[in-house]
Order: sequence, then C-alpha cells, then structure tokens
Amino acid sequence: MHRAALLALALSLGAGTAAAQDMRAFATFRQLHGETRLRAELDYRAGGLRVAPGRSNELYRMDASYDATRYNPASSYDAASSSVSLGLQPAGQGGLRVVSQRQLRQDANVAFAPDVDLDLDVTLGAVDADLELGGLSLSRLVMQAGASQAVVRFSQPNRSRCRSAEILAGAADVTVLGLGNSRCDRIDFEGGMGRVTLDFEGAWTSSSQAAVKMAVGELTLRLPRRVGVRLTLDRFLASFEPAGLVRTANGFQSPGYDRAERKLDIAVTTAVGGVKIEWADQR
Amino acid sequence: MRASATLLALLGLTALLPSAARAEPKKSVPTGSAAVELVRNFWDLVSSQQGDQEPPRPQPQQIRAAPEGTPPVSLSDLSNPTEIESKLKDALEPEDGVMRVTVPDGTARLGDFSVGSAESLEGHLLVVHGDADVYGRLHGNLLTVDGDVIVHPGALVSGDILALGGDVRNMGGEIGGEIRTLRSTRIFAPATPVILAEEPRALSTVGRRLAGVFGVFLTLAALGFGLVVFGRTNLEVVSDTVSHSFGRAFVTGLLGQILVIPTFGMLIVGLVLSVAGILLLPFAVAVYGLLVVVAALGGFLAVAHAMGETYTRRRMAMGVVIGSANSYRYLVVGLGALAALWLAWSLFGWVPVAGNLIRGAAFLVTWLLATAGFGAALLSRAGIRENFAGRLIPPEALTDEYLWATPQFGVPAGRRPGNRTPTRGL
Repeated sequence: MHRAALLALALSLGAGTAAAQDMRAFATFRQLHGETRLRAELDYRAGGLRVAPGRSNELYRMDASYDATRYNPASSYDAASSSVSLGLQPAGQGGLRVVSQRQLRQDANVAFAPDVDLDLDVTLGAVDADLELGGLSLSRLVMQAGASQAVVRFSQPNRSRCRSAEILAGAADVTVLGLGNSRCDRIDFEGGMGRVTLDFEGAWTSSSQAAVKMAVGELTLRLPRRVGVRLTLDRFLASFEPAGLVRTANGFQSPGYDRAERKLDIAVTTAVGGVKIEWADQR
Repeated sequence: MRASATLLALLGLTALLPSAARAEPKKSVPTGSAAVELVRNFWDLVSSQQGDQEPPRPQPQQIRAAPEGTPPVSLSDLSNPTEIESKLKDALEPEDGVMRVTVPDGTARLGDFSVGSAESLEGHLLVVHGDADVYGRLHGNLLTVDGDVIVHPGALVSGDILALGGDVRNMGGEIGGEIRTLRSTRIFAPATPVILAEEPRALSTVGRRLAGVFGVFLTLAALGFGLVVFGRTNLEVVSDTVSHSFGRAFVTGLLGQILVIPTFGMLIVGLVLSVAGILLLPFAVAVYGLLVVVAALGGFLAVAHAMGETYTRRRMAMGVVIGSANSYRYLVVGLGALAALWLAWSLFGWVPVAGNLIRGAAFLVTWLLATAGFGAALLSRAGIRENFAGRLIPPEALTDEYLWATPQFGVPAGRRPGNRTPTRGL
C-alpha cells in the first residue's frame, strides 16, 4: 500500500514536467560564384556553435536550431563588399531562459569555403563554441567572447597567410590550440577574468609576435621547443614559473632562441593570477 | 479484425499493381526495378491507410492580386525570413475562402509550379502549398510556402531563394543569391503555435512543494548543525540578542536591508577611486556578498534557535521531561515551526484565494523573522558583542565588598570579580 502511494506520488511528481519550446530549424548557404574573398561577421548570442571548413562549392553555410521565441536567425550577404552577416540575434527580449538547460540548447553549425580568403569577425555571448579554423584561408580573425567557453583550433595549417588574430575575452574560458598553424603575423589576446590556454604548437612557417593581456585569471602558454621563444612579462600580483626559460635582461627566452629559424616573441601583461609555461612535447 | 482485413485487401491490391503494369506494352522505367516499385507501392498504400500522407496539394492556379488597400508582400528582400513569414501570415489569410495576395514585381502561384527549360521568367515568384520546379531561368527571388524548391540541372535562379516549411534541393542548377530554409512554417499553423509548459496537476504541485519545503528544511538544518558545531557561542549570542532585543534587532535588520546595496555601491566606488583598490575589487565583491549571506543565513538560524529554545524551556517549566535540551534540538524545533506555515501552503496552496493568503502570511512571517535575525547578527557583530543579548551579570559582580576592603601596603587590591565590564543596565 505504501509502495503504491509512493509510486503514485513519484508519477505525479514526474508529470507536468514535459515542457516544449518553440525550436525551429533554419539553414542558409550560398553557392560559390568565383568569389576570392569573404568578410564574415558571425554574431551568436547563446547556445552551442561549431565553425569548420565547408564544401568547396559553397561560399558559406549555416545550419541552426534556434529558440524562435527569443532569437531570430540572421543571414545577409552583400555582393558589393563580398560580406556576410550570420548568426542568431535576440528577438526583442533575448537573453537566456533558465527553465531547463537541456531544453534551451540552441545549436548552429557554420562552414566557410576553404579556398576563399576569409576575414572573420566573431562575437559570442553566452556560448559554448568550438571553432575549427584550420584548413580555412583565414586572412584575419577578430573574436570577442563574453561569458563563453570557447575552443579555437587550428588543427591544420592555415591555407593563406594571416595578418592578425585578435581575441578579446570577458569572463570566459578560452582555449586556442595550434596557433603555430594559424600563420598569423601577429596574435593579440586580451582577457578580463577566466582561464586561458594558448597553445603555440603547429607547423611554424614564419616568425610571429603575440601580445597577451590578462587582468585576473590563469594563463597557460603551451610552447613548442623547435621555435625560439622570447617572453617579456609585466605582472603585478601574478605568479610565474619559467619552466626552462632562461632569464635575460629583458625577460625570458628559450635556450636556442638566437639560433632558431622561427621565432615567437610573446609579451605578457597580467595583474592578478598566474602565468604557467608548458612545453608542447611534455603533454 | 477490420484492420487486418484492410491490410489483406491492400496486399492483394499491391500484388495486382505490378501485374497490371506488365500487361501494358513494355516501356522504359526510369528508376528502380519491379521489386522496388512493389515495396514502394505497398508502403504508399499502408501510409495512406494510416493517415500519414500529406494533405492533397491544391490545383495549380494563379493567386489573384489582393484588393486595393491591402498591403502588398514584397519579395525583393528575403534576408529576414521571420519578418517575411509574419507578413505572409496576414496576407495569405483567405477571405471568403479565396486566397489573394499582391507581389510587387512578381507573381504568386497556388499549388505546384514549374518553370520549363525553355522558359525565362522575369520578376519574383511566390509559390504557396506547392513545390517550385525550376528547369529554366528565373530572374528574381523565389519564395515557397509549404513546398520545396527544386533547381534542376541547367536551371538558373538569379536571386535569393527562401523555403518556408520546405527544403531547397539543388540538383545542379545555378543559384545567384542566398538560399535560406525554415523547415517549419507558422503561416498556416494555429494562432498559438508555441506550446508552453503543461499545466501541472494539483497532486503533483502539492508533491513538488512538499519536496521543496522538506529540502529547504534539511538544508537549513544541516547548516545549523554546522554552525552549532563550529560557532556555538556566536550562534547563542545572536539567538539571545533576538530573544532579548527583538524590536531593536528588527529595526536594525530593516535598516540593514535598506543600506545593503548603497553600502555595496559606496564600497565599489571607493575601491575604484583608489588605484590600488581596483585590484581588490573582485575580492571585495566576493567577500561583501559572502558576509551578507552569512549574516542573513546565520541570523535566520539564530531566530530558529531562539524559537526552539523558548518553546523547549517553557515545556520544561511545565514539567515535561526532555532528554537533551541542547542547541541541536532548539534548531530542529525552531526550523520545524518556521516550516509549518510553508507546509500549510504546500498542502493548501492550490485553494483559490486561501492559498494566496497562506503564502502571503508565510512570506510575511519568514521575512519578519529573517529581518530580526539579520539585525541581531549586525547588532551582535556576528555574535561577538553581547551588549544586547541580555546576559545577566554574574551575582558576584554585583557585590560592593571589594570597595570596603582595608588597603594594606604591599598587598594589591583584589580584582573585581567577573571578566567583563557591563556596559548596559548600570
């Protein structure tokens, strides 16, 4: 009797939790008509985002599943400037729904033509992002991440030379992997609070400079041994362990820096937290 | 029985179909073998019996222009699908059973529509309740509602394509513009397509609320026990402050609640104005928040402690034998009393009017006691100051005998008994 009562209570508690939301599927793409460059603005406010190289006959593509009560899909191409705006933008109230994280899940997969010079500007809100930029022809990257958890990967070498990669993070957990494949002349990272990992592993084809500014948080620099690394450090209340870097008059450098064919100069400015050095072959 | 008879009839009919086809003069079949056709026909018939088949498409025809005064639907910009959808929802509403819409620089069609391979269509094209098959050239944008777009090899669509409630299939044609699809459309959906959370039933509501109250009670009890273990003296001082100076504690708590945010703002501004303070900002914010939470929570637990202690002592005064009259018991009894009102709300909260009254009363009482507890925590500096706790001065401290002791050289005067200087009541 008691079991039956408990079962009835459990079932009644379970009932009424079936809730639905107005999720819609949206897709957009454009055929490649001989374009050689593309300026893409990707504005994504909430949910999961995946970016990867796409088909060679499509200039770009976005497949999204979004909450139509709060967001609208954005997809607008301007042929004159060869630019496209993609993403999900708030429809009036916007924001996050806190009923159930599982129900909220918006997702978008974005792909760009691998052979077209890409000038990519990414703005992320509360997003779980995985950006695979390796294999694209990335000429410039600007990424602004709010309260995001973002992983940026360069798993394959960039197909073209990249002028600069600029990453701005608010209170975010950002990991950038394979920066050596990015072929960027200059890498700028500016972080507010959070945990940041910058992995400089990859097929280095030229020297590069990186400037890293971090207000509060933990910064991990994962360095390759085959590249000469020089590190200048400006810190206030941040800990630092050289981990094999040799102290010089201006900062620290790897033992074979002067003889190295490729050089990486990193300027780190941090206030509170810690700077951790890892060597890529120690993983 | 009826279903099996239907199925048998279907199978018989399906078996007859290929034989009928064989009876005709032999002609080339573009795709599939007879076996594939057999299976396909079978499933088509089964699905039609099950009611899964889509509603029949309307006869292809042109949609006539809307009467003057009705806003037209422009297809020149398809970059905002939801906006177009909203406009079409109003425009495609049939009047007297007839659908009318005006498309500037374009045509509107109802039912399946195709652009032949030798055709060249100028202007935008709207196709409603049908597929758009493009074999030829379309110089403009193409929009389908409740239908697919199929761009065949050699075909050209110079503008954008938008499929609302459909898909775009490019079989090898050329599309000059952007392709967008919204897999579902609300244009022909009921007025309220958004399904909100199911209305919970009374029993499940009661169960959920009871579980919630029980969970909060357990959490507070666990926190209270921790407080007794690690900060018993402080808890007792705050508890005594509530008992002895309830009015004063309540007023202090009220003022504290009012001043919490301004004080926080002043703290932030002060730290920002001092250069070094900026670095401490995150820690200051965290510490301030923690202090407020600790004061509120500790004060509330102290109120529960005071209530339990008062009740227990009264019962003991009445001669009831109580095994262990300690702080743990006081907390459980006090929290139980505080939870009683919320339990009443859990059980009867679904009753119209009365439920709201019970909830209001429970909220008011909880707020009053929490405010007094918060104030007591502030007054006693988290249980450090006993000034308002009404602690009695030890009897030996009231004696004036030490004043009359005969002073003797070489013998220091005895210290006044007691280890504290009373600051109140003297």
